[in-house]
Amino acid sequence: MLPRNAENYIRVQPGEFAARCAGIFHAGGRLRMMFAADERETDGFMNIYAVFSSIADHGSFDIITTAVEDEGGFRYQSITPRVPAAHWYEREMACMLGIVPEGHPDLRPLVLHDMYPEGVFPLRRDITAEDIRSKVDLARDDAYPYKTVEGEGVFEIPVGPVHAGIIEPGHFRFSAVGESIYFLDPRLFYTHKGVEKLFEQVGFERGIQLAERISGTSSFCHSTAYCLAVENMRGVDIPIRAKAVRTFLVELERLYNHIGDIGNLCAGTGFAAGYAEGAELKERLMALNHRLTGSRYLRGVNKLGGVSRDVLEDVESISAELSVVTDEFKAVMKFIMSSVSHMERLEGPGFLSREAAVKLGATGIAARASGVNDDLRTAHPNLFYDRIIFEVHTRNRGDVLARMLLRADEAACSLAMLRSILRKAKPQKKELMAADAQQDARPADISGGRQALGWVEGARGSIFYFVKAAADGKSPLRVKVRSASFCNWPLLPFTVLNDIVPDFPLINKSFNLSYSGCDM
Amino acid sequence: MFGKIFCNIIKSKRVLNERELEYKNPEEAAGGLVRRDIIPASFRGSVRIRQVDAGSCNACEWECIALTNPIYDVQRFGVDFVASPRHADIILVTGPVSWSMARALEKSWLAAAEPKIVIACGDCAADGGVFRGSYAVAGGADKIVPVAYKISGCPPSPADIIKGIRGALALLCGPHKGPEPK
Repeated sequence: MLPRNAENYIRVQPGEFAARCAGIFHAGGRLRMMFAADERETDGFMNIYAVFSSIADHGSFDIITTAVEDEGGFRYQSITPRVPAAHWYEREMACMLGIVPEGHPDLRPLVLHDMYPEGVFPLRRDITAEDIRSKVDLARDDAYPYKTVEGEGVFEIPVGPVHAGIIEPGHFRFSAVGESIYFLDPRLFYTHKGVEKLFEQVGFERGIQLAERISGTSSFCHSTAYCLAVENMRGVDIPIRAKAVRTFLVELERLYNHIGDIGNLCAGTGFAAGYAEGAELKERLMALNHRLTGSRYLRGVNKLGGVSRDVLEDVESISAELSVVTDEFKAVMKFIMSSVSHMERLEGPGFLSREAAVKLGATGIAARASGVNDDLRTAHPNLFYDRIIFEVHTRNRGDVLARMLLRADEAACSLAMLRSILRKAKPQKKELMAADAQQDARPADISGGRQALGWVEGARGSIFYFVKAAADGKSPLRVKVRSASFCNWPLLPFTVLNDIVPDFPLINKSFNLSYSGCDM
Repeated sequence: MFGKIFCNIIKSKRVLNERELEYKNPEEAAGGLVRRDIIPASFRGSVRIRQVDAGSCNACEWECIALTNPIYDVQRFGVDFVASPRHADIILVTGPVSWSMARALEKSWLAAAEPKIVIACGDCAADGGVFRGSYAVAGGADKIVPVAYKISGCPPSPADIIKGIRGALALLCGPHKGPEPK
């Protein structure tokens, strides 16, 4: 039997790269992430990696890599025309590493705004943080070329970056005809904090704290994916009890997010009573988070090689709390679904077709509500997921309602999983940390692992980390983070077309994308 | 600027039982109400907050949103979040101030009418937190706007934020400490 979750690194010539990627993509292999690493110190060139879920070898990843050499600038043939899901990844590489994808349809700067110096690429290894800081000019005018629509009766509505409510920052440029949205050009990355570079600066251990702060409401999933990547790289297998704890908290994070999102949708339609019910139930779960881990956002539990505390010790009180949540959740859903005015608003807007979801690489709720059966918990099961039998829920309507109902299905499923983990976690197996957790990657044994992937299906969708150690094995050469929101943000402009402007907040809430998770 | 004088970091005890109580009675956990008589006279007995996310991870935002839920219900203390800085008395900053948000933060501050104060909410806004040293952040709200008060925590819990707002107002409105309206 083939090893599960194997990572097959396949090196191809630069000329074959686009064709190879397109071949896998069109045969149904999902593009999980794409990035580049500056490996000029060791290899003499930069490497591009495109991570696909393998088709032939189910459960494994095919990682297509190719070299990009400096020929008076780094260039390669863009794969976006044939693999649309790659379009933001390629723009990101152009911004962060100065690797130009030739033939890409949209090469406007994605990540770095106008105050950043031109021609300085933060993820190149020879650029230090100080180099960039000294050249940042806050006075430089914003000259981002927004796409505009011209014609009779067309007008523009600029929104953000500071929004009316308590929301993260982003700018949306609507072109509207009457009340209908004709075109939307979002500009994000206002919360860009240079996290990937910071990972290289702080080392493996402190990287956990960074991973926990990439997106607050996905703190646990991010740190789990990061820890799994480093552990995979070091060849560390964590104790069964640690796996149970991690799986439990991943599901708890999903649960509080989904319940909170269902409540927040009510705020989008002005259904105050529904919002209040949802918020109250979410607050109950946040209090449970705090009681179990000491943090309302489940921070400080993950460690490289295991977990810092056994949150499953008090089975009885957790079970009691979960049954209260189960009952209240049923009551809240019944109450919300009984509001005709609310449910009517949800039906129709924010439509994402299955075809668009597949082509643009949607993930998580967004993909599954459009009929794409994709969930890392079954596609690439790690942690405890190969021991739990469960069904991947999907919906076919692809609108706001479908995403709301899917969240309800998944929340119920998570509740069942939490109870199942509580039952299965045997109290006699107490070890929380792997014995060999602290070793560094062995520099001599490169094939044995200087690089690895880590992944988790979070509340918003799949989260991927790629970690590669420097030649000495002690410090990271590259940490690539791919959050679920990075995949789903580019979908949003396609889902709002012909919907009315007042429905935009509702549609946005139905995806519940993280700005910080995307911008990093 | 009064900002420099009142710079203070609250150190709150993180005890499990206290938090359990918090869920049941947030008012008690926050050390009582934000009383009308501690809100500076220049604010006319109630304050309005414009929250500005300057590169936060969104945990602080969710805690601010939780303040308006039925459990914490901060409006009953005479405190509310508003849509425009023009209506605000307090600019509540979260996040380490990414360069891309620096100007928007400054503009929000300038748009608010006097009297006004800035509160830095959370460790990132206080001094950059875990993001200090990154090329992309200023490393604290006080690098861009005059901060009057800092609330620590990553993120500070809703009760911590109420405590912080209360603390900031109490400082401003002590017997001889109220800012002179311009």
